[in-house]
Amino acid sequence: MRSKLLTTLLALLFALPFVLLALLAVAPAWRFPAALPAAYSLGALRDLVAADNELLAGLGRSVLLASVVAVVATIAGFALARAITRAVRPGRWEALSYLPYALPPVLLAVLIQPFIIRLHLSGSVGGVLLGLLLIAVPFATLLLRSFWTQQAREYEQLARTLGCTARQALWQVLLPLAWPLLRTALFQTFLLAWFDFGLTNLLSVGKVRTLTVQVFTYVGEANAQLAAVASLLLLLPPTLLLWANKNALLRKTE
Amino acid sequence: MKPRNWLLLCYALLVAGLPLAGLGYALLGSVGLAGPLATGFTGRHWQALGADAGLLKSALFSFWIASVSLTLAVALALALVLGAQGTLRRRPFPTLLYVPLLMPSLVMGFYLFQLLSRAGWLSRLSFGLGLTHSVEGFPELVQDAAGVGIIGAHVLLLFPFLTLLFQAIYQESRLADYRQLAQTLGATPGQFRWRVAVPVLLRRAAPTLLLSGIATLGAYDIPLLLGRPYPQMLSVYIATRLQRFDLRELPAAYLAGFLVAVGLLGLILVLTRLTRRHAL
Repeated sequence: MRSKLLTTLLALLFALPFVLLALLAVAPAWRFPAALPAAYSLGALRDLVAADNELLAGLGRSVLLASVVAVVATIAGFALARAITRAVRPGRWEALSYLPYALPPVLLAVLIQPFIIRLHLSGSVGGVLLGLLLIAVPFATLLLRSFWTQQAREYEQLARTLGCTARQALWQVLLPLAWPLLRTALFQTFLLAWFDFGLTNLLSVGKVRTLTVQVFTYVGEANAQLAAVASLLLLLPPTLLLWANKNALLRKTE
Repeated sequence: MKPRNWLLLCYALLVAGLPLAGLGYALLGSVGLAGPLATGFTGRHWQALGADAGLLKSALFSFWIASVSLTLAVALALALVLGAQGTLRRRPFPTLLYVPLLMPSLVMGFYLFQLLSRAGWLSRLSFGLGLTHSVEGFPELVQDAAGVGIIGAHVLLLFPFLTLLFQAIYQESRLADYRQLAQTLGATPGQFRWRVAVPVLLRRAAPTLLLSGIATLGAYDIPLLLGRPYPQMLSVYIATRLQRFDLRELPAAYLAGFLVAVGLLGLILVLTRLTRRHAL
């Protein structure tokens, strides 16, 4: 009985955001004191498929940006984790990788902004990409460090001894072995970029209008309906990831 | 130079070079030696810090939010892990706890604004039930002086994550076996919880708790939506000063950024040493 009550309570607590956002997304005018919308309309959702829809463009921008960050950070992280394992003092490199996490993303953006301006990257996708990679690459590196154990190196050496070229050892031995961890790195770095608002907004000066930036803009304009639609779009990829594989979404505690 | 060394050099430049150069630039900016209106060395921005309580109040407000949020989230997570162990192992609980992790903090902020504000859903329900008779009749739960909305948002995001973490530690540390052993030796369930389970869980989770606290301390999205213009949390305070149109404000913003960055790095160093000293 107590168990059912607890489950129901938490299910309600966690479902309420989705219900309220869905109601807001289909309520063109929902004014105080009405507890439920007076009228429902799918207009905002239908407009999504219009060719010049800003939200759809924002969705595309966010997907592209987060995908590029995920792929670049995972590839770089894999190579860097290997280089760190073979470095003279791997512990120091690992400690260095934590530096971007010691500072909140917005503070990090504040610190690197003068250089982004000097590189003429302010307000551009390139500047935002550089800022996001500054957080995502060390994250992927730290995550993928656990792959490069003595065993992985021995597998690589064995493959080379048996006649594999370096490329064959990478593609046919190491990458299949590392795939579960690589997948987790891809998912998590994607979400890292997907969820970001502060760093993107500050480095892009509001010009790179990703979905999170749009949510904030709509909230500022008191356009709750479009803010809710954008919020629901933001929830879509993580929900799909959870549905596909929850272990990849959250690394198991070591 | 070997390709591996080139790779590490580029990495060092990205993860350490860029932020540390930024820190140096912020320091130079705060003494008038860098920035668009650099006029030569001046200590007036540092001196002005004594007269301006904004940064100190922001820091205190941030510490308040971070400590209360973390304490509440830890208490809730511990209560679930220690009080509902059987329920946590059964479906749909393990999946259910992942759901809040899907939510970007900006969306959580927007949702809580729509739920808790004076014209929000709870206020409408209380009006419908006759508990309140106007918008003003509903208590101020967002953009309030104590940061109730900000704390609520952080607790909602943190406690499911901490529950999953504590649950994993509970299983890995075989605390269920320890519970049986403690009971066999005559300990009450309360004694097992407070003298065995809580210390083990907190010590093993200390690094993650530290990072969660620092992340809450530097939160931006949630306080931007649910906070008041004064006092602001640290990240909002610095970003707001940096984005003002008056370029003469920039050195003060750089100074605030520099001080907060150095303060956070120092805090992490001290807390890391403390948690290592007390680690199991």
